[in-house]
Amino acid sequence: MAKNLEVIEQSTNKLTLAERQQKKPKKKKNKLKAVWMYTLLSIFLVVSIFPFYWMFIGATNDSSKMFTNPPTLLPGDQFMTNLTNLNESIGIFRVLFNSLFVSGLYVVIALAVCASAAYVLAKYNFKGKKFIFTAFLLSMMIPYQATLIPLFQMMSDFNLLNTYFAVIAPQLCFPFAIFLLRQNFLAFPTELMESARLDGASETRIFISIVIPSMRPALAAASIFLFMTQWNNFMWPLVVLNTNDMYTFPVALSSLMGLSYIDYGQVMMGVTLATVPIIAFFLTLQKQFISGMLGSALK
Amino acid sequence: MKKVTGLVSISMMLVLSLFLAACGNGGSDSEGSGDSNKVTAWAWNINVPVLEKAAEKFKEENPDFELEVVEMGTDDVYSKLTTGLQAGGKGLPDIVLVEDDRVQGYMSAFPDAFVNVSDKGFDEMKDSFPSYKTELVSKDGAMYGFPFDGGPTGVFYRTDIFEEAGVNAEDIKTWDDYIEAGKTINEKTDKAMIGLDLNGDDGLYRMMLNQQGTFYFDDEKNVALTSEESKKAMKVQQKLNEEGLVKETVGWDAWISAMTSGDVATAPSGAWLYGSITQQGKDTSGKWGLIELPAFEEGGNRASNLGGSNYMIPSASDNADLAYDFMEFFSTNKDVQLSAMEGGLFPSLNTIYDNEAFTKEVEFFNNQPIWSLLADEMDSIPAVNYTGDYAVAKDEAVKAQSEIANGKGIEEALKASEDRLKNRIQ
Repeated sequence: MAKNLEVIEQSTNKLTLAERQQKKPKKKKNKLKAVWMYTLLSIFLVVSIFPFYWMFIGATNDSSKMFTNPPTLLPGDQFMTNLTNLNESIGIFRVLFNSLFVSGLYVVIALAVCASAAYVLAKYNFKGKKFIFTAFLLSMMIPYQATLIPLFQMMSDFNLLNTYFAVIAPQLCFPFAIFLLRQNFLAFPTELMESARLDGASETRIFISIVIPSMRPALAAASIFLFMTQWNNFMWPLVVLNTNDMYTFPVALSSLMGLSYIDYGQVMMGVTLATVPIIAFFLTLQKQFISGMLGSALK
Repeated sequence: MKKVTGLVSISMMLVLSLFLAACGNGGSDSEGSGDSNKVTAWAWNINVPVLEKAAEKFKEENPDFELEVVEMGTDDVYSKLTTGLQAGGKGLPDIVLVEDDRVQGYMSAFPDAFVNVSDKGFDEMKDSFPSYKTELVSKDGAMYGFPFDGGPTGVFYRTDIFEEAGVNAEDIKTWDDYIEAGKTINEKTDKAMIGLDLNGDDGLYRMMLNQQGTFYFDDEKNVALTSEESKKAMKVQQKLNEEGLVKETVGWDAWISAMTSGDVATAPSGAWLYGSITQQGKDTSGKWGLIELPAFEEGGNRASNLGGSNYMIPSASDNADLAYDFMEFFSTNKDVQLSAMEGGLFPSLNTIYDNEAFTKEVEFFNNQPIWSLLADEMDSIPAVNYTGDYAVAKDEAVKAQSEIANGKGIEEALKASEDRLKNRIQ
C-alpha cells in the first residue's frame, strides 16, 4: 500500500516539475495561488493550535489571570505552583499510573480479542458468520447509558467495584475495532494463507506469523483508536471507581470541578498532563495510522 | 476449525491471566465493608476540608473513628448516586452531599433510600436551623437529611462603578429602583447593570420566585409558571433587557469574569459568590458592596435563597449508626461549622450567627459586615417546593425566559412553557 502511494506521489511530483518547465509565464499566478493557500492554511493552523496554547497559558498562570480583559496571552511563572497544587488535590503520579496502566493493558488485550474476532469473521467460512457479524455491528447502536446500570449491578454482584478489571472488562470486545480490522483482513490474499497451509503451518502460526505482521498499519490504527477510547473514557470509570487513588485522568480532572470555585490553573495543568501521553502515543504510531486509514479507504 | 478454537482459547487464557495480574495490582478493598469504624463520604471540593476537620475533632472522643472522603465533581456525585440507587443501593457511601434543589427529587424517586434522621433523634436540633432548610429535607414530617450550607442572596455590586455614576446602592429598595439605578449607571459609565445568561440559566428568576415565596411549583406541587409572582419576576427581567442593562454572559465563567473585570456593575447571587470573586478577582479587593435583594414593592420581603446543600445517609449503608453520630456532630458543632466559613460556605446552623466570624468587617467588601447581613436573612427565607421535576421545570423556565428576551409576550411564553412542562411530567 505504502509503495502504491509513493508511486502516485512521485508521478504527481513529476507532473508539476514538467508543468513548471513548460509554463513559465504562469508562474506568477501560481505564486499568488500559493500565497493564498498558505494564508488560509496558517489561519487553520492558528485555529487548531490556539486551544493547546491557551491550555499552556492557563497551566502557567494563576487562575484569576484566565479572566482578565484583555486576555493574558503570555506564559506565566505559576507552572510549579499549579503543578504542586494539582498534585496535592489529585495525586498526579497515581492518576497518571492508573490511566496509563488501564489504557495500556486495555489496548493490548482488546487488540488481541478484536483482531482474533476480526480474522475469523474475515477469513473463515462457517454457519451463522453473517449473523454474528451483523450482531456485532448492531451492538454499536446500543447507547452506553442503557447498559450502564445492568453492567454496574453485574460488577457489584461479582464484588468487582473499584478494581481495574471492572474498568477494562466491559469494552474489551469493541465492535468498531472489529469492523475496522475485518475490513483490512478481507484484503489479505487468501492464497498466501493457502500456501502456508500447504507448507504445513498451523492455523495459529498463520495468524501470528503471516497475517499479523502484514497488518501492522491496521493494527496501529485500531490501537490508537482503542487507546483514545479508554484514555478519554469518563462515565464508566466514574461509576465503578470508588476511591480517589483509583481514579483515571478524566475522573480525577472532573473532581476539580466544584460548585462555586474552580482553580483553572490546576485544571489546565491537569489537562496538559493528560494530553501529553496521547500526543506521544499518536506521534509514535502516526505513520502506521495514516497509511492504515488510507489503506482501508482505498479498498 | 479446531485450530481456531484452540487459538481463541489461548487468547482467552492470556486475557484471563493478565487480568488476574491486574487485579492483584489494583486496590480491591472497595466499599470499606466490614470495617465498622470507617465511614465513607462523597462530596465536592470546598466541602472536603470541612469534613476532614470534623473527623479530626470527632476522633478526640471516638479514637477509632475513620473517615474516608471521596472527592468528586458536583455533577459526578449525582451520576454515581443515581446509578447506585437504581442498582438497588450498590456501591454507595455512608454519607453523601446533595444540593438543595436535588434533595426532594431523590427523596421522591427513591422513597426508602435514605435514613430517616428524625427517628435517630435529629428532631431535637431542628430549631438550630432555619425552617426553610429543615422543611426542604423533610417528607411527611420526618427529616431525611442534615441541613448544611445555605445560599442567602444579595446584590453584589462594584462600589467603584456606583461611585463613578453617583448612585447610592443603599437607596435601592425595590426592583424599580434597581432598574432606575441601572439606567443612570449605564448613562454615566456605559457599563451594563447585570450579567445574564438568558438562554442558559435562570438564576435571577429563581431568586425572585423564592423571594416571593413560590417556585416552579406551588405548595401542592402544581405547576406554577404562570403565577402572578412568576409574571412579576419575568417583567423585571424584561425591563432590564429592554433598557439595555443586560450584558449577555454565556456560562458561569463569563459571568464571573464580567464581574471581576468590572464590565457589569451588579450580580444578584447567593452568599457563595464570595468564594468565587475573592479567588478570581484578587485585585478587586475593597471595590465590593452588598445589599439585600430589592423588594417587589416597598417594604416587601428581601430575603431569598440560591443554592446550598445537605448531607444524607443512604439506607444501604451498613454503618448508618456511626454515620449518623458523626453527622450529628458535624452539623451542630460550632467550630466545624465555622471552619466551613473559611472555604466560602455559608452554614445554616443559626447558633453561630453571633460569632465574631459573622459580625466582623470584611476587608474585601470595603469593611462592610456582609456576613451578618446575610445571616439576618436566614429566618425570613420562604420555604419552597423544588419537587422531583425541578430539572425539567428549569429547562422550560429557561426556554420561556429566552423567548421573552427575544420579544415574545410574557403571558404567552410562560403559558406555552407551562403547557409543555405539564406534558413532560404527567
